[in-house]
Amino acid sequence: MPAILEVHDLVKNYGDFTAVNGVSFDIQQGEIFSLLGPNGAGKTTTISILSTLYQATSGDATIAGYSLKKEPTAVRRAIGVVPQEIALYEDLTARENLDFWGQMYGLGGKQLSARVDEILEQIGLTEKARQRVRTYSGGMKRRVNIGVGLLHKPQLLFMDEPTVGIDPQSRRAILDTVQELNRQGMTVLYTTHYMEEAAELSNRVGIIDHGQLIALGTQAELTRQVGQTETLLLHIAENDDPQALAAALTGLEGVLQAQASDHVIRVITPSAEDVLASVVSAANERGIKIRSIDIREPNLEAVFLHLTGRALRD
Amino acid sequence: MKKIFAIIWKDAVVRFTSPWELMFFIVLPLVFTFLLAGGTGNGQADPRIRLLVVDEAGSPVSAQILSELGKSTAVWPEVLTRPEGQAQFDERRAAALLIVPAGLDWSALQAGRAEVELLQQPNNLNALVAERAISTALRQVSAASAAASQAVQLRAEQAPFASQAEKQAYFDESLAAARRLQAETPERVTVRTANTPDRVEYDPRANSSAGQLVTWVFIPLFGISGMFAYERQQGTLRRLLSSPTSKATFLLGTISGQVLFALLQMLLLILFGKLALHLEWGRDLPGLALILFSAALAAAALGTAMGTFIKTESQAGGLSIMFGMVMALLGGCWYPLELFPAFVRTIVHILPTTWAMQGLLDLVLRGRGLVDILPEAAVLLGFALVFFAIGVWRFRFE
Amino acid sequence: MKKLFFIGLKDLKIIFRDRAALIFMLLAPFLLTLGLGFVTGHFSGGSASGLSDIPVVLVNLDQAQLGDALVDLFQSEDLSTLLEPSEADSPEAAYRFVDEDQAAAAIIIPAGFSASVIPGEGALAAQNYSPDPLKIEVYANPSSPTSAGVIKSIVDEFISRVEEGRIQGTLRVLSISGVENMPPEQVQALARALFENGEFDDETASSAAIVLKKENQGPAAVEFDPLAYMAPGMALMFLMYTVSYGGRSILAERAQGTLPRLMISPTSATQILGGKVFGIFLTGVAQMGILILASALFFGVRWGDPLGMLVLILASVFGATGWGLLLTALSRSKAQVSNLGTAIMLIFGILGGTFIDLSQMPPFVRLISRITPNAWGLDGFTTLALGGGLPQLAGPITALLGMGALLFGISAVIFRRSDAMKS
Repeated sequence: MPAILEVHDLVKNYGDFTAVNGVSFDIQQGEIFSLLGPNGAGKTTTISILSTLYQATSGDATIAGYSLKKEPTAVRRAIGVVPQEIALYEDLTARENLDFWGQMYGLGGKQLSARVDEILEQIGLTEKARQRVRTYSGGMKRRVNIGVGLLHKPQLLFMDEPTVGIDPQSRRAILDTVQELNRQGMTVLYTTHYMEEAAELSNRVGIIDHGQLIALGTQAELTRQVGQTETLLLHIAENDDPQALAAALTGLEGVLQAQASDHVIRVITPSAEDVLASVVSAANERGIKIRSIDIREPNLEAVFLHLTGRALRD
Repeated sequence: MKKIFAIIWKDAVVRFTSPWELMFFIVLPLVFTFLLAGGTGNGQADPRIRLLVVDEAGSPVSAQILSELGKSTAVWPEVLTRPEGQAQFDERRAAALLIVPAGLDWSALQAGRAEVELLQQPNNLNALVAERAISTALRQVSAASAAASQAVQLRAEQAPFASQAEKQAYFDESLAAARRLQAETPERVTVRTANTPDRVEYDPRANSSAGQLVTWVFIPLFGISGMFAYERQQGTLRRLLSSPTSKATFLLGTISGQVLFALLQMLLLILFGKLALHLEWGRDLPGLALILFSAALAAAALGTAMGTFIKTESQAGGLSIMFGMVMALLGGCWYPLELFPAFVRTIVHILPTTWAMQGLLDLVLRGRGLVDILPEAAVLLGFALVFFAIGVWRFRFE
Repeated sequence: MKKLFFIGLKDLKIIFRDRAALIFMLLAPFLLTLGLGFVTGHFSGGSASGLSDIPVVLVNLDQAQLGDALVDLFQSEDLSTLLEPSEADSPEAAYRFVDEDQAAAAIIIPAGFSASVIPGEGALAAQNYSPDPLKIEVYANPSSPTSAGVIKSIVDEFISRVEEGRIQGTLRVLSISGVENMPPEQVQALARALFENGEFDDETASSAAIVLKKENQGPAAVEFDPLAYMAPGMALMFLMYTVSYGGRSILAERAQGTLPRLMISPTSATQILGGKVFGIFLTGVAQMGILILASALFFGVRWGDPLGMLVLILASVFGATGWGLLLTALSRSKAQVSNLGTAIMLIFGILGGTFIDLSQMPPFVRLISRITPNAWGLDGFTTLALGGGLPQLAGPITALLGMGALLFGISAVIFRRSDAMKS
């Protein structure tokens, strides 16, 4: 399959601060590619550069064969963008919004109205199309927000953290939409800081941290980097000190890494079963009460922890 | 081009969603124009200032003062009783009140005991005008008596009067002669207002309406800055700029839409002025259209430039009203520029309002035509170009 | 009571941190007052209006005594600050100056003007003398109506003096006994001599003149500073913005959830509403205080009685707060309050007499203007600037307090009905 997006050594500096530091990757036609990373890792900056909103300090990308630097207008025609925040005119109806944005993408006439009908059908708002967006629920607004990005049948769709701050039901609906779009042949660049979303949706994942792409590949490829390990999640009481326990656990035999955040300690180990007893007794010795224990198969969370020594959601 | 229409349509729907917009679009400008045009719905109303007069003397002298006042071009006297006059004055319903006290007659005048009383509202230009008009009238009345007195004196030096009666008779005779001479005095001054070759009566109230027009068109056009803030807050600006629609197309669409609304607004205001207030808007319609169009473009471009640094809609609202009012005031839209000190008159040429007003006055008051306002239009278009360029250059989506 | 105070203080803090609001509350009225200061000549010598250095073009085709006298008058020391005269050779050149807006007016003194006023050779046939009507032309610039008016009045005054002289002279001639029998040449010479002597003989004239006794409202000794009218006018206008901003904050608290939070705290609805109103009031007082102080500091406005000033500010803000509250009670959303607030601010501004002379308005406009706190407040500030004290302010203050109380009552009823505090 041909690559629809190729990013070469993208750099973005703001004064002394480097927001994106030499990022390179590509996206194949028909795949869902996720950029996974914590807040502030450089995901939105990267996607903003790719959607021609910012100029890269150095480096370039080709999208659908067009250079980002030399042919930004052609790039804009090729991509569809679903911004993180809802970007709609609340005083216009859904149909008026879609009409307007279609025109901004150069659509018009019968072609536009047919396309708007299709999109309304797809996002399930045909009946409410004549209501002002202001009157919509959050989930409905999200759907229109995505619909606008699809109007001109882009070759590549950018979705920048579309599930931030919404209820589980709406989130589910969005994930389903993305998968449905992909089945219809849409290529998607999806950014998120939810490990589960990246895991569920994507063919390939790029992990980004401090502006650098620190890992890239399919889920299987990435988890293999961590080796044959399992993750032990210890939930401890609120008034106990997780840092002290983590430090103690790091020295135990069979523990590769132990890391504390809030009231959870993540222990990476080749075999959870083998270390379980010694972990529990280490906690007991310190008078720390373990409320529950989870054992996780290798996943992207573990990969991130392995690579950075930090949890994804710090 | 289609994109520009789409943007204009979108802006129209967004702007007029709230009925309040109509309030600012047309209701307030109409109220202001109406009030500042003198609050009269009648173009034939007496433009002279109403002067309250209380005549307690009821003598030939007071009658003559009244008749002199009646001839004035600046005031028209309205005779009232003292309590009425005092009450109206206290309620600020008139700028000045003249009281002619009892006992004012020729003999009092001869004896140098003649006195009238004038009450003026403070800080009132009309009160000052009234004072001047009264002085002129009093001077006319006194002059005859003074001349007669002098004649009596002169005659007495040559041949003393035999009796008081004879003296009085001589005075009366001289007074009559003096007043006859006064009455026979021809007009010695003629006033011609510049450049109204076809003798169209240009209404000074058109001046204040023109000023209101500029004020009320500039304020919403400065409000373009608020539209950008709104689009930024909604995130639609960001989205727009990642679509294959260029910055310049977007700005052009936004500006041309607002200029279109402004032209519509001006048309309504002009029609209101013409039909309801019978104001004269000059004969040169192409000239009027050109100057209004250039002014609207300049204001819109300025609003665009403001939009590059204003962050929130409420800031934009406050700043556009403030800039609009300050520029209107300094540009001579509210008070004629002649009232400003010379250096201010020079400095204010950096404001587009000054040029817009100058162009409008050329058309409305001086009866000039299209050719004469070309320089003003050119300056306004220059403003538009410069600020539009700044807008495009500094324009950011966040 | 303490809580009420805290809520008010919190609102005062919030508004003074909002830059957009400060622009409107303080900067806008200050700048407009500054601009009006220019108009009223406050910064250019302190005359009643800003008129100075009026450019005027003189064309003296007469070249005889009266024409010269008029030119001298225009060039005299007394008028040197008011006028900036220049001379042109031909009427055409002078017209051009006016047409190009270089001069406020042109004065054309026609050739033979003096001769037409002062009886010329053979023209005098005693009483039957009828002068040749030659006229001085004032060519006025329509875009400088006031300046042109000033110039015309100077010319008028000159002519009226000339007329006085002429009439006096003629009467004197007639009073000489035996004048009927004199040869015309002699009468003529006599008249001319008398005219020239008596031309500006004001002493006798003024002794018999009617004296105009002027009385301003209030003590005549106080020189009225127009800015004492303009500065509070602007402050009062933007006070209306402040009170609507305060009303907005009530609806904003509801929208952002702090109002429900306050409602579930052990604070009563009355305390909350009272606190909000107190906050509006406090902000208004701070704004008025700052602006009035600024007018005294920067523009040198003398405000007289400080106690009267304080009470007047408090009363004005109270009346305006009533309007702010009514506005809030009638509005459903923040946007509505701010739109309505801005509209009311401008309408009250103009109706209150900040921009226009209310005395020239039809009676119904004057009547309507009385519903604005602006009109009453301005009355009060004018009285104060003219040297009045608290006792003279009783009228406006009573009206403002009454207005405030009435509006508070109406708003309370509407609030209770609409349950605006709940939800």
